[in-house]
Amino acid sequence: MKPSESSSAQPVNRLATRAQPGYYPDFSTLDQQDSWDEATRKVIASRVASPPPIRFFAPDEAALLQAVIDRLLPQDDRFPENRVPILPVIDERLYKNALNGYRYEDMPPDRDAYHLGLRAIDQMAQERFHLPFLELSTLPQELILKSLHDGAPDPPVAVWKHMPVHRFWTLIFEDCVTAYYSHPWAWDEIGFGGPAYPRGYMRLENGLPEPWETEEVRYIWTAPPDTLSDLDLAAQTRSPNSSLLEGIR
Amino acid sequence: MPLFGSFKAPANGDHRLGPMQRIETPMRRFPAGETVDYLVVGVGSAGGVLLQRLARAGFKVLGLEAGPFWDTERDWVSDETGSHELYWNDLRIIGGKDPLALGANNSGKGVGGGSVHWAAFTPRFHPSDFRVYTEDGVGADWPISYWDLKPYYELLEREIPVAGPAWFPWGDPHGHPYGPHPLGGVGDVLVRGCTKLGIRTVAGGPVAILSASHGDRPHCIYRGFCLQGCKVGAKASTLITHVPDALAHGAEIRAHSMAFRIVLRPDGRVDGVLYYDREGKEHFQRARAIIVAGYAIETPRLLLNSACPGHTRGLANSSGTLGRFIMAQAGNVVAGRFSDLIRMYKAPPAHALSEHFYETDPRRGFARGFAIQTVAPLPVSFAKHMMVAAHAWGWGMRRVMMDYNHWATLGVLGEILPWEDNRVQIAGEKDQYGIPVAKVTFNLHDNDKKLIEFGKQKVMDVLWAAGAETVVQEPRFAHLVGAARMGSSPDSSVVDKFGRTHDIDNLFICDGSILPTQGSANPGLTIQALAARTADYLIEQGDAIFSSGRRELQEPRIRYDLSPPFTHFKGNPRIA
Repeated sequence: MKPSESSSAQPVNRLATRAQPGYYPDFSTLDQQDSWDEATRKVIASRVASPPPIRFFAPDEAALLQAVIDRLLPQDDRFPENRVPILPVIDERLYKNALNGYRYEDMPPDRDAYHLGLRAIDQMAQERFHLPFLELSTLPQELILKSLHDGAPDPPVAVWKHMPVHRFWTLIFEDCVTAYYSHPWAWDEIGFGGPAYPRGYMRLENGLPEPWETEEVRYIWTAPPDTLSDLDLAAQTRSPNSSLLEGIR
Repeated sequence: MPLFGSFKAPANGDHRLGPMQRIETPMRRFPAGETVDYLVVGVGSAGGVLLQRLARAGFKVLGLEAGPFWDTERDWVSDETGSHELYWNDLRIIGGKDPLALGANNSGKGVGGGSVHWAAFTPRFHPSDFRVYTEDGVGADWPISYWDLKPYYELLEREIPVAGPAWFPWGDPHGHPYGPHPLGGVGDVLVRGCTKLGIRTVAGGPVAILSASHGDRPHCIYRGFCLQGCKVGAKASTLITHVPDALAHGAEIRAHSMAFRIVLRPDGRVDGVLYYDREGKEHFQRARAIIVAGYAIETPRLLLNSACPGHTRGLANSSGTLGRFIMAQAGNVVAGRFSDLIRMYKAPPAHALSEHFYETDPRRGFARGFAIQTVAPLPVSFAKHMMVAAHAWGWGMRRVMMDYNHWATLGVLGEILPWEDNRVQIAGEKDQYGIPVAKVTFNLHDNDKKLIEFGKQKVMDVLWAAGAETVVQEPRFAHLVGAARMGSSPDSSVVDKFGRTHDIDNLFICDGSILPTQGSANPGLTIQALAARTADYLIEQGDAIFSSGRRELQEPRIRYDLSPPFTHFKGNPRIA
């Protein structure tokens, strides 16, 4: 089906703050929890109601990591009470030393990697802008993090000679997206139906919503105009005619 | 209203496997000091089938499983991060030029092993997969042919059972016992794009997911959480297909038991296994024969860690090939954004595919081929995917994820050849038990790189042809096999064609690690078929396994009478 274009499609004011961003107004996976199984309901309810306390990071390190997270996965478009907790989830993983089943041979253990990486980020802020990362405004913070994203730390402080920057980026950013997109508020934002046992789904084809899901209502969504982290996918992808493989089956 | 009654916590001692199956608790426990006939290390895809067959045949069998014995109602959730414990999360070190991500990607822990979180695609290997060296001059030949395994493919397709088209046109054409599933949004994209390019497809299977109820297992409800453990009991895992029958016939499964050393008797035969229980207490379990079924990393790790005088390079490693020739399949994930909605979280991630490019085509400039399959990741996996494929971060990640419902993802499943330098070794570090961990080294070679490049481009073409407005891709790997390969020669392989180690007469390996090559088919069905065949061999050999060094190499008689309940009266259709 075609997504319905909102008839009043116009740029919303820059970064309108909402309880629920995204194109599925009023969709709430949590409203569906009566049709979830008990084990799932418990896990999700505790995720929403009781983010774990900070036990691994020291207060100053936690504050620094929070500032990094705020740029890695910004939530300025959410009211403060509607922001998804990310730092507590990362802290808990490291506090429990919960692993993901592997470590690259050129990487230190996850806990050490976080300590080292955060220290490096702060050093980069000091060297380049003569301020702690925490005290920088958004743009210089993004400049530093974008250099990590691009795999070319600027300035190249010593830590990155010993720890591959792209692996650290993967580690910290995977942890961020895992925390964010595990949260039912993020599911509401992206229109993901969420847990579906025992009820299941019945409209499998054509992107149709279940009776309890909502239609997409699109509007022109804009990131803050001066951000370095927005994405223009159309500019990234090649045209479909460039395949060298025509004719070979 | 809930479909299956109210969802209250099960009563104490009521162990549930899916909404309908119950197993009796407390489960059997052999007395301390008792010698069992077969000790199976690892209760996954192969271990579950082995235990079930051997128990039915009257052997005293015990399965040691490092992870928990899941109660699916209590332990499993419809949630990505809540399912983290299904994976082998313990420390492993990865290296090489193309390191293999492990954990959730390919490694299971707990009864059922990887079959708990597989997508359950169940294509057979093609006849050519068993003769790769003969046909293409690369890789290795198997010591058996497709035709030796075919009856076991058919049998397992009825046992687990497999849903799919009545006519599957590639390899040895065949049909599937249960009807195909309805098509989801991503499957529709695959069919649409391939059709435009003249590529043949099938949809609705083959998958080991029920399209109609089967005994005490309900059919699929299309909730999309296949990889998080199927609470419905529609997706096959040995936890629900073979383990209950094994228990009913006297097998014991000892969960939370981490094997760390195989011990030899003075006469050079294996004596038993040392393992740690949940509290870290050490135990010794004696057995008349041992089958290691720990998959492609834990199996070589256990054997390497069992090095002893006379076997200083590890058990069953006189050839020096133990740990070598580990393989993963190319698993590039290709994502396309469509202006229409897809909602890819509905329906099983695995439900449509093409094996059009499976066989070698010399015009492509590389040996072997690949399959194209639906993937359909849930939000967390998709975000990780977009991080690599689209280089998304910050607001860009928020933006691309707001369009989650507009994306469809397909996967390359490509054959990577077995290479000697791709291997499992023992690292210097230790895990939480104090056991030295595995180090896995992986490098792509020239043929692999060419194949991946071609496959990736072809799948991108499919998405463009289906009408995508943006296409991005992430290089990945899928599955793990090899590292203890079977072969005819003790000089170049670890086990013979029935999984018996060349070096030690009562030590067997039966899991994905014995595969000499891997084709472009998901390995789960083949692993289970090999396990059923090894079980038939052991049963036919009887007590001779426990004392004799004689190696019978005739194919065993197939024991159709040892299948789990509800198998009989099912057929393998064949149209045309």
